Amino acid sequence: MSNIGGVPFYILEFGDELVYFTPYTITLFLLALVFTLLVILSRPERQVDIAFGGDAYTTKQISVDEMRFRRFMSIACGLASMGAMVTGDIFNFTLFTAMVGITNVGIVAAVKSPHVQNAAYQYGLVALSATVPLFGAAAVYAASTGSLSMIELAGGTLPAVPVIAKSLLVIGVIGEGMAPFYAAKAEMFRAPGAPYVIMCSLSSLLIFLRVIEVVMLG
Amino acid sequence: MMWGEYSIGLMLVLVSGVIGFAALAIETDDLHRLLLLDLVEIPSLGIIALLGTDLAEALVLPGLTVGIAELLALSQIYITKERLKDKPVKGLNIEVIRLADAPIVISGFLVVYGLLLSGFTGGGVAGLGLVFFFMSRGYQEDLNMLEMASGISWAIWIFAFFVFMFLPQYWFVALMCAAVGIVLKVTVKMSLVGTMWGEVRE
Repeated sequence: MSNIGGVPFYILEFGDELVYFTPYTITLFLLALVFTLLVILSRPERQVDIAFGGDAYTTKQISVDEMRFRRFMSIACGLASMGAMVTGDIFNFTLFTAMVGITNVGIVAAVKSPHVQNAAYQYGLVALSATVPLFGAAAVYAASTGSLSMIELAGGTLPAVPVIAKSLLVIGVIGEGMAPFYAAKAEMFRAPGAPYVIMCSLSSLLIFLRVIEVVMLG
Repeated sequence: MMWGEYSIGLMLVLVSGVIGFAALAIETDDLHRLLLLDLVEIPSLGIIALLGTDLAEALVLPGLTVGIAELLALSQIYITKERLKDKPVKGLNIEVIRLADAPIVISGFLVVYGLLLSGFTGGGVAGLGLVFFFMSRGYQEDLNMLEMASGISWAIWIFAFFVFMFLPQYWFVALMCAAVGIVLKVTVKMSLVGTMWGEVRE
């Protein structure tokens, strides 16, 4: 039990599925929670365009409808990240990760700029294809060890998890918004509205921190 | 045994996945890539289904739901991106399936088979039959009726759960209620999807 980010303070069980709080997961969970609260409370920034050669500048206007939708999507993204941080079940982790991918697309999808729409679409294609290795990894976990519970995997009594399952899991998480596939996502950040867009980055950062722990199990 | 059924299945899924991803890498048209992605999604469900246990069935459903949700989101973005909103869509104008009797026969068979199967799978099969029928005929049905049937079947399903929880000795009645409820629910939901095809966009 020592290699899952410390001894769990609290394990919340729903039958076979469980949620556990260790020093590591609780830190990540609080980070996601605080940022979700910030998203709920803050007002969107208005992007400033500065005209070169003069001292003129313009701010972009964001309609209330657009802001509402994006705020909703950011909150959904925050909830999905929180779920992914504390879940003790491999399949739930992959589901939460896939949900973070969808909501990341959703956060910028309401922006009317064709450039942003195009980038969001391309990123969405990558995120959708990343669900293949994600769910595949969860299935191979279940097939090779007979359990999806992280606590049991960390217990050391089950057969070792094959490297292929771990690498599929990491590839899946990377596809949902990490480094090599980040190019399309960076373009999406041309969308105005700071706290919401930053939720995209923060959620994938948190997911990445968590998947390190998950891969080290079993 | 080294080459058990699981390994062979896994190999097949892997090969089809590789073919799908190769097609995805070659294709450049945005819409075609979206369709190909849906195709690639199937092997991932295949890997889960290969577990061959009840757990697999429980895992395929959320996997499928997530896939469909992403597909819907992406197609919505595609519509906005390509400015297709102002082009109305009215059913599938395929002459062969509109004029022949085949749709009635095929959808009738699917509905009957689905009712025999019952449960989630049966609902899916029967719903597919209705989707096919509505798609080929266009629709003039009263959607309120379908929605009401959906609501009632939902209530039956929930009722069955309460029986499971509080009166476990009547489990057989509850099981039958849940099976009927879910078959109606899934059928109605899928046939609603079928009728939405013909919707004229505002």
